[in-house]
Amino acid sequence: MTAVQQHSDTRDVGSTASGGGAVETHPVRRRRRRRLTGATFTPWLFLLPAALIFLVFKFIPMAEGIRLSLFEVRPFLGDIFVGFKNYATILQDEKFLTASWHTLVLAGGQTLGAMLIGFLLALLLEGHSKSLWFVRSAVFLPVVAATAVIGEIWRLFFYPAPEGFLNDLISWVGLGPWEYISNPDTSLVSVMFVGIWKNAPYDMVLILAGLAGIDRQQYEAAAIDGASTRQRIWNVTLPALRPVITILLTLAAIRGLRVFTEVYVLTGGGPAGSTDVWMTRVYTTAFEQSEAGLASAGSVLLFLVTLVLTVSVQVYRRRKEAR
Amino acid sequence: MRRRTATTIATLGVVALLAGCGSSTPAASNKDPNKPLEVWTRSTEATAKVYEKIFKSFTDRTGVKVDYKPIYNDFDKQVQQRAASKDLPDVVITDTGSLGNFVKQGWTTEIKRDDLAGGGDIVDRAWNNGKGADGKYYGVPFSTQAMVTLIRKDWREKLHKPIPTTWEELDDLARAFTRDDPDGNGQNDTYGMLVPGTVDRGYLAWWAASYIWQGGGDILEEEGGGKFSVGIDSPESTKAIERLRKLFCEDKVMQPGSLTLSTNDAHPLFESGKSGIYLTGPYMIGRFDKSLGKDKYEVIASPRGPAGATVLGEGEDVYLMAGSAKTADQKKLAEYLITPEVQQAGMQGDPQPVVRLPVNKNVDVNATYNDPRWATVAGVYSSESRPFPSVPNFTPFRQKTSETLNSIFAKCPADSSAELKSLADALKKELENQKASQ
Amino acid sequence: MSVNSSRFDSAIGWSTRPDAWLSKGVRALLSVFAVILFCGPLLVIFSGAFDNNPDPTQLSVIPDKPSLINFQVATENKIWHYLANSLVIAGGALLLQLSVSVFAAYALARKKFRGQAIALLVILATMMLPEEVIAIPLSLVIGDLPLVHVSLKGTLLGVILPLGAWGFSIFVMTEFMREIPAELEEAAKVDGAGELRLFAQIILPLCRPALGVIAVFGFNMIWEQYLLPLIVAADPSDYTLTVALLALRSDDQVGTGIVLAGALLALVPSLVVYLSLQKSFLRGITTGAIKG
Repeated sequence: MTAVQQHSDTRDVGSTASGGGAVETHPVRRRRRRRLTGATFTPWLFLLPAALIFLVFKFIPMAEGIRLSLFEVRPFLGDIFVGFKNYATILQDEKFLTASWHTLVLAGGQTLGAMLIGFLLALLLEGHSKSLWFVRSAVFLPVVAATAVIGEIWRLFFYPAPEGFLNDLISWVGLGPWEYISNPDTSLVSVMFVGIWKNAPYDMVLILAGLAGIDRQQYEAAAIDGASTRQRIWNVTLPALRPVITILLTLAAIRGLRVFTEVYVLTGGGPAGSTDVWMTRVYTTAFEQSEAGLASAGSVLLFLVTLVLTVSVQVYRRRKEAR
Repeated sequence: MRRRTATTIATLGVVALLAGCGSSTPAASNKDPNKPLEVWTRSTEATAKVYEKIFKSFTDRTGVKVDYKPIYNDFDKQVQQRAASKDLPDVVITDTGSLGNFVKQGWTTEIKRDDLAGGGDIVDRAWNNGKGADGKYYGVPFSTQAMVTLIRKDWREKLHKPIPTTWEELDDLARAFTRDDPDGNGQNDTYGMLVPGTVDRGYLAWWAASYIWQGGGDILEEEGGGKFSVGIDSPESTKAIERLRKLFCEDKVMQPGSLTLSTNDAHPLFESGKSGIYLTGPYMIGRFDKSLGKDKYEVIASPRGPAGATVLGEGEDVYLMAGSAKTADQKKLAEYLITPEVQQAGMQGDPQPVVRLPVNKNVDVNATYNDPRWATVAGVYSSESRPFPSVPNFTPFRQKTSETLNSIFAKCPADSSAELKSLADALKKELENQKASQ
Repeated sequence: MSVNSSRFDSAIGWSTRPDAWLSKGVRALLSVFAVILFCGPLLVIFSGAFDNNPDPTQLSVIPDKPSLINFQVATENKIWHYLANSLVIAGGALLLQLSVSVFAAYALARKKFRGQAIALLVILATMMLPEEVIAIPLSLVIGDLPLVHVSLKGTLLGVILPLGAWGFSIFVMTEFMREIPAELEEAAKVDGAGELRLFAQIILPLCRPALGVIAVFGFNMIWEQYLLPLIVAADPSDYTLTVALLALRSDDQVGTGIVLAGALLALVPSLVVYLSLQKSFLRGITTGAIKG
C-alpha cells in the first residue's frame, strides 16, 4: 500500500449496473483526503475475519496436503520423499484418463441441464402468491435432502427389470424397459439425469434472486416498445441475469469436477468403469494403497485443473465487461 | 489509532475465546501410563453395548481402566488421523483384513504367540488370521466366520428341488428361481442369485473368490517363503470365471443391477424376495431371521465345485497398537478377550453378538448358540474356509480383480481371456511392487 | 394505457388478472408437473420412514405397514442427540458465516484496491481442493492451533470456526453487491454518512435477496458436513446427524427404514430454513431509490 495508491482507493466504484441507469463518477472531493489513512486499511479490515479463518483452516492444511502429495505418506514410520512420482503414476494410469473424460462430460451435462431447467422453473414460479410459495418449497426438496439418501432412492427407481418403478412408468408411453445405471452404455447419462434433477432447484433459487433484482420498469418499457415476451426475456432478463449466470458457471465448474457422492452411491464407479469420475478414482486409489500421498496428488491435480478453468471464466468475464 | 486499538482488542478477544473454549494441546494419551487403556472397536450402537459390558468386567477383574470408543464411520481414516499425530489408541479390534495395512504402516506390534496366556487354546486356523506376510503374528484372533450360502427354502420346496450340493445343482436351482415363478405371484419378478457386485472396495472379488477357489484356481498362488505368483489367468480360474460369466450373460439368473450393488444394498433384495440364493456372511442370520423369518430360508455349506467347497473365512483381530506405554495392560486385555467366558459372552451378546465363531477351542458352539445353523457355519469354517492370500497388502489385488470381473460380467465378451490376461499383468506388477513376486 | 402493471412482476409476464384462466391453467398444470417431478421421489423417504421393513423395489406414497418402529430404533441409536448437536453447530456457524461473508464481500465489491482480483480468486480456490486431501492436516491443525497452541478437539467451536468462512457465500454476496448502483453510495456520502453507516444502512438492506440465498445454502452446506465433525469429534457422542446417518447407512444390520427415518429428520431443519427465507430472496430492489 504505497502512498500513491491511496488516491484511487478512495473512489468507490460500482460495476456497470444491470438494471439501473448509467454510472457516473464524482470528482474526488477535497474532504475525503482526511480519511486517506483509514480508508487504505478498510478493505483489508473487512476481509480480515475471512482471511484469518481461511488461513488457519484452509491454506495451512492445503499447503500441507500439497506437500504430502510429494511423499509416500507413512504417518508413523516417517514419510518418504518421492518427488513427482505420485503424479506420474496417476497421469499414466489409463483409468484416470477415462475418468477425466467422464468427469468433463458429467460436469458439462449437469451444468447445462441444471441451468436450463432451473431457469425454466424460475420463470414458471416467479411471483408473490401463496401457492407459488408452496410450489417453490416443494420443488426445493431435492436440494435439502442428503445426497447419499437421494442416491439410494434413485438407485431404487433405476431397478433395471421391467417391474422396476421407472420402467413401469415409461411402459405406459410404450418405452423401455431400460437398464439405466446397470448398463455401461446408459449409466453415465442416468447419473447425469440425477445430477440435473438435484441441481436444477439449486440453480432456480439463485436465478429467482437474480430475477428479483431486475428493474420492473424495464419490462414495462419493453412492453410499451411492443416487444414480445420472448424478446423481452432475451433482451432484458438474460442480460440482467449475467452475474447470476457467471456465479452458476463458476460454481458448476468447481462443483461439477469434484463430483463424488452421487456417483459413488449410485454406481460405485461402475459398471465396468463407465461412470468412474476423477474423485471416485482418487478414492479407489486411496483405498487400494491406503496411502495418502497418491490420493493427495490426484486431488491436487483436480485442484489445478479447476483453478485454471475458473481463472479462464473470470478472465473471460472481465474482458467482456471491459468492452 | 482508534482502529488499531479496536483491532488489538478484537484479536485478544478471539484468543481469549479460543483459550476458554479449547483446551491446551494435550500430550499424546497413549504415552501416559496413568491414563486408562484406550480401546477402539469397529462398532455400531448395538455392538457397542456388548463391548461395554465386556470391558467393564475386564476392569472389575484386573483393575485396568478402559477408555472405550466405538467407531463406525471411516474407521481406517480415523486410525490414520491418530497415527498422524503419533497418538494411536492402545488397542484396536477390527477386521482381519486390516492386518496387512497396519503392519505396513508400522501401527501394530508383534504378538508372541507362545507368550500369550491361553494362546494355545486358540485354533490354529484362527491364528492364521493374525499372521503377517513374514510369518510373524501381528494380531490376536478374536472372532471368526466363514461365508455360507443362504437359500429361500420356501421357494426351493415349492419347485420341488433338492438342497444343492454341486455347482450344477446350484445353477439349476438359480435357473428355476428365475424362470419358474417360485413365489407363485404369477409374475416374472424373481431371480436366482444375489451378487454384491460393485467394484467399490472390491466387493465383487470378495464374493467371487470362493467360486474361483472351488474351481481349483486362485487370484494369487502361494509359492512358499512369502512369495506368490499370479493365478487369475490359470485354466482353472478362467473356467470358474467363465461359469459365472455364463450365469450373468447367458442364463441371466443373476439379480438385475447386481453389478452396482454393495452388500448393504443387496441385503434388502434377499429380504424382500427378489433373489433366492445369497452367498454372504453368517452375521446376516440375525437380521434375516427378523425380517424374513427363520422358516423361510436355510443356511447351507457351499455346493461343491470341481475342486471342492472352499469359501472365504475372515474375522476380527485384537491389534495391540504401537507407541503405547501400557504394554502389560494391552497384553492383559488380549488374554482376557480370548478366554472362554468372554468369547461366550461375545457370542450371546445382546442385542447383537460381537463374536461369531469363537477362536477358543474350549467353547462349544452348539451349546452356546443352540442353533444347528451355526453348527453348519462352524463346520464350514473349520473344514472348508480359507483367508485371502497373505501378501503384505491384498487390497489392490482384490480391487483390480473386482474391476476386471465387473467389466467381464457387464460387457459379456465372447472371450474373457484377453481381459484376464491384462489383469494378470497388472497383478504381476503389483506383486513386484510389494516384493512378493516369486 | 390499459397495460396491467402487475404483468411485470415476473419475467415471463404471467397475468394476475382474475379472469386469465388460460394463463393460470397452464401455470397450474406445469407447477403440478414440477412438484411431482421434484417432490415425488422424496415421498419415498417419507413413506419409507414410516414403514415397517420397506420393500426397496416396491415404491409407494403410502407406507405398506405403517408404524413408528423406525423412529424407535433411531431413538435407541441416539438420533435426537445428534440432531441437537447439528442444530447448535448449524446455528452458530451460520451466524458467523453470514457476518464474515458480508464483510468480505463489501470489501471485494464496493472498494477498489490492489490485489482485489487475486483476493477473489484465492477465495474461490478455497472451494476447489477436495476435502479429503486436507482432512489429515486439518485434524492436526485443530488439535493444535498455530501460535495459540490450543486444541479444539471435541468442542463445538472446533466445528463452527472452520465453517465461518465459505467461498460460495462471499462469492455470491460479492456479485450481488456489485450490482448496487454507485449513485446510492454517492448520495449517502453526500449526506455525510460514515463508512459503517453506509455499510449497515444502505448497502446491507439492499442485499436481502443475496443474504437469503447464502443463508439457505450456507445452512445446507453446514448441515451436510461430514469430514469436519468427524475430525473434530473426540468421542462418538460429538457427532452430528449427518455423520450418524452415514454410519447407519453402512451398518448392515440396520434396515433401510431406519436410515430413511433419520434422513427425514435431517431434511426438516433445512426445509424450515428455506421456507422462512423464501420471502427474503424474492424481495426486489425498490425502483424508487435510484431516481433523483
